[in-house]
Amino acid sequence: MLVSRRLLLQGAAVAGASTVLPGKAQARGKVEPLEEAVGMLYDSTHCVGCGGCVAACKEANGLPWDEPTDLSNTTRSIVKTRRLAVPLRNGEASAFVKRQCMHCVDPSCVSVCMLGALHKEGQGKRDMGGERKGTGIVLYDEDLCLGCRYCQIACAFAIPRFEWREAFPHIVKCELCRKRADPTREGALGVANPACCQVCPAGALVYGRRVDLLAEARRRMAAEPARYNGKIFGEKDGGGTQALYLAAAGVTFKELGFPDLPDGSYANASESASHAPYLNGVAPIALYAVAAYLVRRNKKAQEGAERPEEPRK
Amino acid sequence: MTTHARPRAIAGGLLDRPMIWLLALFGIAEAVISYRFLAGIGSVSNMNDGYTWGIWEPVNVVVFTGIGAGAYSVGLLCYLLNRGKYHPLIRPAVLLAAIAYSLGGASIVVALGRPWNMYLLALPPLWNLSSVLLEVAVCVVAYVCVLWIELLPAVFDDAAGSASRVRSAWGKRWGGRLAKAMPYVIALAMLLPTMHQSSLGGLMIVAGPKLHPLWHTTLLPLLALVSCMSMGLGAVVVLTAVMKHTWSARHDNELLADMSKVNGLLLLLFVALRLGDIAFQGKLHLLAVPDFYLMVFVLELALFLFPAFLFLTRRVQQNRARVLGALLTVVGCSLWRIDAFLTCYNAGESWSYWPSLGEIAVTVGMAAFGVAVFIAVSKIFPVVEVGDPAAIRAGHEADLRSLRTRPATPPGTSNPSRPRSPR
Ligand code: SF4
Ligand code: SF4
Ligand code: SF4
Repeated sequence: MLVSRRLLLQGAAVAGASTVLPGKAQARGKVEPLEEAVGMLYDSTHCVGCGGCVAACKEANGLPWDEPTDLSNTTRSIVKTRRLAVPLRNGEASAFVKRQCMHCVDPSCVSVCMLGALHKEGQGKRDMGGERKGTGIVLYDEDLCLGCRYCQIACAFAIPRFEWREAFPHIVKCELCRKRADPTREGALGVANPACCQVCPAGALVYGRRVDLLAEARRRMAAEPARYNGKIFGEKDGGGTQALYLAAAGVTFKELGFPDLPDGSYANASESASHAPYLNGVAPIALYAVAAYLVRRNKKAQEGAERPEEPRK
Repeated sequence: MTTHARPRAIAGGLLDRPMIWLLALFGIAEAVISYRFLAGIGSVSNMNDGYTWGIWEPVNVVVFTGIGAGAYSVGLLCYLLNRGKYHPLIRPAVLLAAIAYSLGGASIVVALGRPWNMYLLALPPLWNLSSVLLEVAVCVVAYVCVLWIELLPAVFDDAAGSASRVRSAWGKRWGGRLAKAMPYVIALAMLLPTMHQSSLGGLMIVAGPKLHPLWHTTLLPLLALVSCMSMGLGAVVVLTAVMKHTWSARHDNELLADMSKVNGLLLLLFVALRLGDIAFQGKLHLLAVPDFYLMVFVLELALFLFPAFLFLTRRVQQNRARVLGALLTVVGCSLWRIDAFLTCYNAGESWSYWPSLGEIAVTVGMAAFGVAVFIAVSKIFPVVEVGDPAAIRAGHEADLRSLRTRPATPPGTSNPSRPRSPR
């Protein structure tokens, strides 16, 4: 038998029915930054690389001092020295960059986490206690974590770490020191209080509401336009982040170790591509109905034709 | 090719030498797994924060289930497209799938860092419906159940044919009941893989910049779906060839040739989709960069196109070329899957990865266990059709007949045409 056209057509219809539709279905939409979202602003041009924030982070989280060189299961924050391709005008051949969770506006890690162990404060499946909606802080709830580590695959900034040598391991990442908040205070300090920002002696690291931090970043750039490279990393990148970054003129964020991200979030891209074909559950049900009908009809015909001697009812 | 062949249990003892080897390999895997539960995943693997899934997810889950997709693709041909002639392939394919998917599921449990929280997956209010992995997990669990239910007719057939009247009546009664429900089960078996195989591909969309642009595309779900069909058909051809050699199982050349033609077209479809997508997204310039990734890319293409050529060329329609093609198809599709999840994934400058002996031992041991279960089930229950004339001659009946007719044979004449014994 040659493969007939009908077979091909039928095959294409069946195989493609649920996956060729993405073009028709719409995306889930862009997530806008929350009005009261909090975050931090890191100004690489002011950082002196003292590592005070790293030590403060260790202490605040009860983690041992182990002379960290990168984020790890015992290190939620790190300051790295990045070698520059072209030395700056002042002769500097390297630049500092502090890394920790970016508290993305539309985080990939939250999108992929099966039961919402990683979730935006107050927007998860379960309240870990005292969660406030609207801060946008990305929290980790170990009781809902399966340890699948999909968050590590998903995070474009490679932030979440895993306790590889533990029989009962956790995911480790910065939670913006939510636990250090002083609930009696108004404003940003009432919802979180990053130890790292508190200790910075150089004014390189500031905590606050995202809108205020954006304004501060713009103010700094306007005051000294020649000092900065003209971009606020995190304003739009990857759908935006609540940790914002400034870098010196002549330094690219790529050199500082950041990925090149489109303005849209990957969480949105992925969810739209994977879920759109389901048309809110209509497609699977329709597909099932068609399959059940065809199988019933064909199976009956086949059994009747092929095995007349078979004692089947 | 009308035939009165029926699936029957393969004769022979269960615990022969190959079986002992297979179980030994599984034993090693079990030892590694036990140690992993005591000392953590990092103690037996080279997985790290950059290559967090190591080979367990890409191979044990993504490749194993791809091999298991034979039940899906043969099922599509047989039931949905009404090609009843494929029926003899269904039971072996479903058994292969049930085993491959169960092992994939078991591997996930081993790979999960906090598996004791898994019971929470049974609570839909906790589901994060945005999570592609959640969908894969739920769908795969459901499909594993469906696959084992699809095998129940073999158990009932076995009982129905038993000498005990009670057992036989039981088998007939329940076999009949199940037969009525079967179309709805089979329809599920068509729907679920469509969903989770495409979602498996979709898992890596979110990885964005960490996956090489020649592999990263929003078309990943569709590519994964098409590749699982190819891979599944390929796996069934290889399986049939192996069963023919070891058990003289029924082997219908014409049927496999037709199926391979379908597979050839699927392979071409995959390549067309992939190249078209790369061109459409303006990534063609990447094909001018002679690096490691390009080499892998070309190797993959070759492993898709060469089998397609073998399948679709009239002159190389012989059995051997077809089995080779099928094998290469499985290798090619597996390679694409492993590349998209591991080889061409790169979380950052600071990591490197090569699987540890422990990781490999688990993967190999799991596969060995799968083979062992396939053999055991085929020997206990009627799954494989050993019904075509050659096999019958080679099988039990032949032995009996030759016993009966021995007096008629001139003494001292051996029978040169007697095929190999079925074991
Ligand atoms: S930086 Fe990574 S871990 Fe942090 S919120 Fe974004 S995706 Fe999640
Ligand atoms: S490892 Fe835990 S936190 Fe990360 S995605 Fe999996 S379940 Fe969520
Ligand atoms: S906010 Fe807290 S946990 Fe996060 S980096 Fe700063 S000190 Fe560490």
